[in-house]
Amino acid sequence: MSSLSATIQDVFNEPACAKNATKSAADRKKGCTKQLQPGGAAGGCAFDGAKIALQPLTDVAHLVHGPIACEGNSWDNRGAKSSGPTLWRTGFTTDMNETDIVFGGEKRLYKAIREIIEKYDPPAVFVYQTCIPAMTGDDINAVCKAAREKFGKPVIPINSPGFVGPKNLGNKLAGEALLEHVIGTEEPDETTPYDINIIGEYNLSGELWQVKPLLDELGIRILSCISGDGRYREVAYSHRARAAMMVCSKAMINVARKMEERYGIPFFEGSFYGIGDTSDSLRQIARLLVDRGAPADLLDRTEALIAREEARAWAAIAPFKPRFQGKKVLLITGGVKSWSVVAALQEAGLELAGTSVKKSTKEDKERIKELLGQDAHMIEDMTPREMYRLLKDAKADIMLSGGRSQFVALKAAMPWLDINQERHHAYMGYVGMVKLVEEIARTLFNPVWAQVRRPAPWDDPADTWQARADAALAAEAADPGKAEQARRAAGVCACKGVDLGTIEDAVRAHGLSSLDEVRRHTTAATGCGACASRVEDVLAALPALAAE
Amino acid sequence: MTQSAEHVLDHFELFRGPEYQEMLVNKRQQFENRRDPAEVERVREWAKTPEYQEKNFAREALTINPAKACQPLGAVFAAVGFEGTLPFVHGSQGCVAYYRSHFSRHFKEPTSCVSSSMTEDAAVFGGLNNMIDGLANTYSMYKPKMIAVSTTCMAEVIGDDLNAFIKTAKEKGSVPAEFDVPFAHTPAFVGSHVTGYDNALKGILEHFWDGKAGTAPKLERAPNGKINFIGGFDGYTVGNLREIKRIFGLMGIGYTILGDTSDVWDTPTDGEFRMYDGGTTLAEAADAVHATATVSMQEYCTEKTLPFIAGHGQEVVSFNHPVGVAGTDRFLMALARLTGVEIPAELERERGRLVDAMADSSAHIHGKKFAIYGDPDLCLGLAAFLLELGAEPTHVLATNGNKAWAEKVQALFDSSPFGKNCHVYPGRDLWHLRSLLFTEPVDFLIGNTYGKYLERDTGTPLIRLGFPIFDRHHHHRFPVWGYQGGLNVLVTILDKIFDEIDSNTNVPSKTDYSFDIIR
Repeated sequence: MSSLSATIQDVFNEPACAKNATKSAADRKKGCTKQLQPGGAAGGCAFDGAKIALQPLTDVAHLVHGPIACEGNSWDNRGAKSSGPTLWRTGFTTDMNETDIVFGGEKRLYKAIREIIEKYDPPAVFVYQTCIPAMTGDDINAVCKAAREKFGKPVIPINSPGFVGPKNLGNKLAGEALLEHVIGTEEPDETTPYDINIIGEYNLSGELWQVKPLLDELGIRILSCISGDGRYREVAYSHRARAAMMVCSKAMINVARKMEERYGIPFFEGSFYGIGDTSDSLRQIARLLVDRGAPADLLDRTEALIAREEARAWAAIAPFKPRFQGKKVLLITGGVKSWSVVAALQEAGLELAGTSVKKSTKEDKERIKELLGQDAHMIEDMTPREMYRLLKDAKADIMLSGGRSQFVALKAAMPWLDINQERHHAYMGYVGMVKLVEEIARTLFNPVWAQVRRPAPWDDPADTWQARADAALAAEAADPGKAEQARRAAGVCACKGVDLGTIEDAVRAHGLSSLDEVRRHTTAATGCGACASRVEDVLAALPALAAE
Repeated sequence: MTQSAEHVLDHFELFRGPEYQEMLVNKRQQFENRRDPAEVERVREWAKTPEYQEKNFAREALTINPAKACQPLGAVFAAVGFEGTLPFVHGSQGCVAYYRSHFSRHFKEPTSCVSSSMTEDAAVFGGLNNMIDGLANTYSMYKPKMIAVSTTCMAEVIGDDLNAFIKTAKEKGSVPAEFDVPFAHTPAFVGSHVTGYDNALKGILEHFWDGKAGTAPKLERAPNGKINFIGGFDGYTVGNLREIKRIFGLMGIGYTILGDTSDVWDTPTDGEFRMYDGGTTLAEAADAVHATATVSMQEYCTEKTLPFIAGHGQEVVSFNHPVGVAGTDRFLMALARLTGVEIPAELERERGRLVDAMADSSAHIHGKKFAIYGDPDLCLGLAAFLLELGAEPTHVLATNGNKAWAEKVQALFDSSPFGKNCHVYPGRDLWHLRSLLFTEPVDFLIGNTYGKYLERDTGTPLIRLGFPIFDRHHHHRFPVWGYQGGLNVLVTILDKIFDEIDSNTNVPSKTDYSFDIIR
């Protein structure tokens, strides 16, 4: 376990992360990932994070060492797409039993690896550690090493048992395993000045394939995608790429940064969501390649392609304008980059009623601060009434969000479109945005919503929950005291259950001026830390309040 | 030998064996004088064109693959819904064999029905003797509590007078004078099975309410606050009537189901053969005259029955096979209005659950195009539900639909933006539909078992909803009415949509990159 905890410490110390760089040494040690909140509605574990990060490698046998829980509940549960091998979709597990727990499961693991190699002969076997064998002391590193030597085949230990932390940490630990055991172990047949890596892209719904033709046209080769539609060998020789794009997610930042350190591969953080973002990313790729010696005409060719594709996309979106006249959209999301689709939505004539605060521009942030005090994590805890109020205040016609907010949206009678990973449509690239706009149009005009919003026709119209919620809202509006009470009751820190009023009182009473002081006095932002920026907003707003 | 006594192959396998294949090839080459396969292919393709469609729709005399059956089939349906009642079809016996097999194949239950077995003599000299002997034999052999008489074309063409025949038969002692023998003239050359249902039901009510063919005093109506319920000719009658009883129970309404087929077509396997089971008792049938109102779920199955009942002073309300939220809302509100009871919270919860399910899955149905064929009321109910889901019922076809029905369907289209490009086809058959499916393709076809040929020829996936359904089992045991029924229909449609996605993505290493487990 000592090497695992060393790895975790190493992962936490991520110099390429701007956020991390501003932290104190002690905070940095605590890590950037959310602490698990006992009693909370938990997200996935580190094992899950590692598994989803690597599972899209299509020709690898992914063997989960543990009791049936880990693989039994999760095999083949991701919408990543493969252009060839299907082995990655087969669920392999050691399915440990009581005897394995008592006497150790290493032999079973070794045999399982042997059986996979005998029956499937994959280019590599990835062995995932889980909580139970990690606790009973199965040394999967040693087993993998023995198997590697015996069978002459890469057998890669992925040391990310669930208990070490949340999903995001698992993503990084998976990246560490690749860095330690895979990347740089093979050589490509040939290299070109146009070779790139794409890191942190999973080809969900096959959306990478909406961008790949553009790269193909420019002569840019994806030497390796980690890990969407990837092959083991491609990852093994990915160190020969000239440049890398880290797809807009910090999940695998350690991989991108360490490949820059070790192999001199420059990277940038970009996104293929949204028209402007796609163009920017293509430009950046071209720029990095030219910097590293590719012929300079690549830049002009890229600009020409961007101009053509943008024109096409805008032209395809334009016809929706009349239909979207006066329609408002509310964007709520956890990780996915909803902010980058805003331009496309506005171009299609949709008004933006609000978006989640992460990564929004300052103006956006001002506009939505009152609408959305919380991020998606909080929205799941909202009652339908609170959601109703939120949506009513926003005067939104449709909500775009991740799958877990779906059911709340439906219960609050709000049209809803899924833009997170469980979706079935690919929204990446220029065509992806056109598809998104089409889907929004379909959702907005779906008659089910009218039905959802209508009470049963025999109900007294004054006695529906909507009417009651409206009445409560009206009462609040009529009574400044109640309105103030409601404003103060808005949650800020979900983990510790601290509301706005508590923070304001503490700031006023003790003359607090920094985040750390607020933390000490109220415990706000001492859980997952996601609300830190909101606490800072409260601090920034208080002098104005005092001035009133 | 392909076939051997040790291992007997059925037709799936047997005729694929080398010796049969060889024999068929030889026969084809030596004796069949086959058309040039290229010419066959050309014509096959031509039959998919608008040009062919025009000729197809210009057909005047020939009906090809009809989506309807004859009146007596409906008469038998209505009759078996009464306690201890044996349907007696006056006419040729072959017809009756069809009704029995038709129902047995759909409901997977025996269906008892007898015939007066008219032969050539009877056709020439009249069927009176067949009626006299037939009633006598039926009465003594099968011990029914009632014999409900209907007719085939044969008896109708020669003009047999059922009223007089039955009277004569009673006088001759075939059955006791007070024994109930209601009757209805049900010629197949008029209307369809839904008409026959209507006539037979009206005949039974007329018998009990209007003095049993002059042998008893007419009943004086004394309103008792109850509701009569008529399901109509309905392939889901077993599940539907049980659901309707549950709904009446939840609402606390006194009711009489006129023609309760839910037991006779779903008898338990417990060692006892039930020739008759359940059904509306004869006392209830007579007592039904006193009800406050009568509700019919299928307007076109009760076009004569409802005016007859209204003539006795009851309010009558009819629906068009309501499926889904709005249809069920209207049905329940009518019950509430007629009886003055409130719709219970439990039903409102079920409503909310159906709305929830529709919203959860609507994205998969929304915008899809459907062709629907079936009985007029079923077409209306399903089309309304599809519009509710944001789907387009592009083609709606009923061989037994008339002009008034077509206007009603058109009005339904006009009520929704999703009905804009939809068309109704009254009096057309499945060969017309075949052309439509080629020239204006849709995503899914809704119909009965016969739709499987259209599915095969046109590649349009078939969702089985209707009657008869021979090649899938037991769906008639689940309701399509009420909010629960709406949920069943939703699931039936969704299952096919998802199956279709799967079957389009299941070729290993070709299309299976989309062969997902989460939809």
